[in-house]
Amino acid sequence: MFSHSNIEATISDKLKSINYFLLFLICTIFFIGILALYSISDGNFSEWPIRHVQRFILGLIIFFIVALLDLKIIFRFAYPIFIVSIVALMLLPLVGDEINGAKRWISFAGFSLQPSEFVKYTLILALAKYFHSMEDYHDNFFSKLIIPTFIVIIPVTFVVIQPDLGTALVIFLGGVSVIWISGLNYKYFISGILVFILSLPILWQYLKGYQKERVFTFFNPERDPLGNGYHITQSKIALGSGGIFGKGYMEGTQSHLNFLPEMQTDFIFTMFGEEFGFIGSIVLILLYMALISISIRMALTSKSLFSKFLSLGVCSVFFIYVFVNIGMVTGILPVVGVPLPFISYGGSSMLAVMFGFGLLTNCYVNYNTTLTKSSFI
Amino acid sequence: MSESNKFIFKKYDLDASINRRTAIITIAKAGLFTILASRLAYLQIVDKDKYKILSDNNRITHRLLEPQRGIIYDLQGKPLAINRERYEVVIIREETSDYIQSIENLKNILPDIQIDTEKLYSKINKTKKFIPIKVLDDLSWDQFSMLNANIHKVDGIYPQIGFKRYYTSGPSHSHIIGYTAPLDKKEKDTNTLADLSSAKSGKLGIEKSKDFNLRGKLGNKNIEVNANGREIRELDRYESTRGENIQLTIDSELQDYCYKSLNDQSGCVAVTNIKTGEFYALVSSPSYDPNLFSKNISLEKWNSLTDNIYKPLINKAISSQYPPGSTIKPFVALAALENGVSEKREVYCNGKHEIKDTSLESGVKTFHCWKEEGHGKVNMNEALKVSCDVYFYQISREIGINKIAEVCKRFGFGQNVFKSFYEEKKGIVPSKNWKLESIGTPWMVGETLSAGIGQGYFLTTSAQLSHALGQLINGGEKINPTIVLNKKKDSQKKQKISLNPQHLAIIKKGLEDATNTQGGTSYRSRISGNLKMAGKTGTSQVRVISSQEREEGLKKNNELPWDKRDHGLFIGYGPTNNPQYAVSVIVEHGGSGSGAAAPVASKIFKYLFDNNLNLKSKSISNV
Repeated sequence: MFSHSNIEATISDKLKSINYFLLFLICTIFFIGILALYSISDGNFSEWPIRHVQRFILGLIIFFIVALLDLKIIFRFAYPIFIVSIVALMLLPLVGDEINGAKRWISFAGFSLQPSEFVKYTLILALAKYFHSMEDYHDNFFSKLIIPTFIVIIPVTFVVIQPDLGTALVIFLGGVSVIWISGLNYKYFISGILVFILSLPILWQYLKGYQKERVFTFFNPERDPLGNGYHITQSKIALGSGGIFGKGYMEGTQSHLNFLPEMQTDFIFTMFGEEFGFIGSIVLILLYMALISISIRMALTSKSLFSKFLSLGVCSVFFIYVFVNIGMVTGILPVVGVPLPFISYGGSSMLAVMFGFGLLTNCYVNYNTTLTKSSFI
Repeated sequence: MSESNKFIFKKYDLDASINRRTAIITIAKAGLFTILASRLAYLQIVDKDKYKILSDNNRITHRLLEPQRGIIYDLQGKPLAINRERYEVVIIREETSDYIQSIENLKNILPDIQIDTEKLYSKINKTKKFIPIKVLDDLSWDQFSMLNANIHKVDGIYPQIGFKRYYTSGPSHSHIIGYTAPLDKKEKDTNTLADLSSAKSGKLGIEKSKDFNLRGKLGNKNIEVNANGREIRELDRYESTRGENIQLTIDSELQDYCYKSLNDQSGCVAVTNIKTGEFYALVSSPSYDPNLFSKNISLEKWNSLTDNIYKPLINKAISSQYPPGSTIKPFVALAALENGVSEKREVYCNGKHEIKDTSLESGVKTFHCWKEEGHGKVNMNEALKVSCDVYFYQISREIGINKIAEVCKRFGFGQNVFKSFYEEKKGIVPSKNWKLESIGTPWMVGETLSAGIGQGYFLTTSAQLSHALGQLINGGEKINPTIVLNKKKDSQKKQKISLNPQHLAIIKKGLEDATNTQGGTSYRSRISGNLKMAGKTGTSQVRVISSQEREEGLKKNNELPWDKRDHGLFIGYGPTNNPQYAVSVIVEHGGSGSGAAAPVASKIFKYLFDNNLNLKSKSISNV
């Protein structure tokens, strides 16, 4: 009934079937991150760049561990992993460390982790298992819409109350992308968008003051050039003044004059674009596109539904990261705190993204594995 | 259709759907990436000139606003430490076309100023090009306006207005108020003003101990600057928060009067309100110009202050420790009374007291009374009045050092008087345990005798003396020693120090007789009239008198070099019928308590009695 060919697959077989071009692209983008952080530190390697390297190495270890696990184990534990990550989110208001007015971090054995970064991927795991095990693919309403929406809404709610609108958005869109791939009827998407637009005035009431300000500012950054529009205005000046060829490595005046705070995290693309110009920005975007298209191609080779949903979900989450971040610094999206993968300074997002690519690679390595339907944990 | 066929059909259908939907989502991603690329093309190609101009010519930049330091007032609301405008000049390297030329032009505009160009250039080269570097500090108004009139000749150079501390009340207040100076290296990480290049912090006195309250909070402003970094307009401003104003319990006029009464002798004075513990004066002499440190002080000037044998930089009232000498006797007498020695007990003084000492050839160690020929028969009252050493040798020996130490500590000796003066010293109250712990040898009987007349290991400070006397004379009420006015008078029930009123009456009588009856040690300094002072003189030796010298005849103090002469001390209270104040006076190497210190105290008491009503504080409004 089932193919047993993969059971005998040894670690070295698996290592051989890893897509090393994917890893090469990841390392290239990471290397650009090191260059950027080195520039932001004014030529000092010892603070940000070195920690970035350490985190990347830790990320690689996680990548290989996850990639080489038995896919069946990942399948079996998809729900428990999701539940653990949700519990970590729920615990945040009680045990979280408050930074800048938001409780997003949880301290654990000397590390400070952001559970919301991992939830992006654990949600995909849970949804992939759910759709894989779904009994009736014709029931659009209950099985494909209500239950999955409920699964998505739980983590989104906890992240929104942190409050961290940006991450909530990434989680939500990541979840929606899996629902989309599962084949839910178009009409639900269209009505969902309509309901969202109509309910905007009500949602508006629940936004915090600074979140409302950000939305105002998004539509008119010049309205408040020093408060909330400051980031967008300064980011655009920095990018634009970089021109086609850029101001040269470590020569970005706007970035180095500290016009933008927190340059090393969410606004790192700005500095890169200022110093390397349009050409540098486009090369970086092309690298991300290459990474995503290879990932999608890898995802489609999988035989099991679980692997497909999981891999495609990982691709979507990664894409959303990149798009929201660059969209934000170029002023086409509101300023929400979303890091640029492999480049922004930040441990949790680095580890989470590597975890995601580990899952993707696992599915690719075990593309032939078939899985039974299981609705049990 | 069989069940399995249906399943296969569905699965096929699903795979196709997944591929189709993935294709759609991939196209959408490509589309969104295209939007990003177009957006970047728009910013970085189409609009690049606009943004280049914005970047080069029209920057929004952030400047910190210095807070004004809180003002320090005296008890009467007179400002003692205020802020004045300070005119300084900074240079920003990247905003000059040639910084050496800019500095040369600056020199031409202000020919009478000195600039250490070598040092400045190396600093300019080491600092990031957009950080302002101070070129000149504390210009006169004339220089400042001259520079402003010629500002177009010096690009990258900016005149700025800041604040500097100014002390209004002269050298008498220098020690107590202290001064401010640029932050130390250590403070750069912790001080809340550290981001400000001109940040200063208190280094001594109230300026240091209340630095956190006085310093205020930084403000900032965002300004639009042009290609030369010149401010075009201010966009917004978050005002700095002024530091808290502080009112002292020090009465400035009294402080001045006490300082003048010391008449440039090296010494110190403390005046305490014995009901509240507030210090009305805390004086150290000689002193220095308090505004000396507002400017950069020259090495020469600094050395002349540190090398001065009268140590003008030290706040002697709290940081110099002296043997209390006979001023400790009221407390030793109290210890004797509490340990069963009757006031009527008589001791015969023949000028010396001998104890066995096998380490000496003679087998006997002799302790001398200050009066060589002796006082004859004395009781406690007489002993306090004439300050008979032999009497105190005898009773100290009987009660032992630990009983003396206990009483002295009870009234505040051996402990810091103030909570937060880091320069304060706490003195020493010797006891058997103390010696074992800090010196490591057992206590000797002879040391009890020395301690009984406030010599030997005993050390105290002027502030401690007046505070301890205050707590004794007020009947054993624990008071809260302070020089900062406490606006909310605490209504808490005052703690009591164990003190038998009968014992206090005996001590007070002894001190009153010492000042106000003929033969008393401070009789010459008595105050006639209704309001009188009472007190105890003290003369503390700073050298060991050898037996050879004693045989050859003691040298008079004025025959000795200054730093070998005895310290003169006096502690007193008044008015005797209703005590309000405790005063301690120490004249370093003044020769004797009765000759050097008591007359100073007498003048101060007279001033206090005459100006009694003026010592009611006027509260300031904290703006």
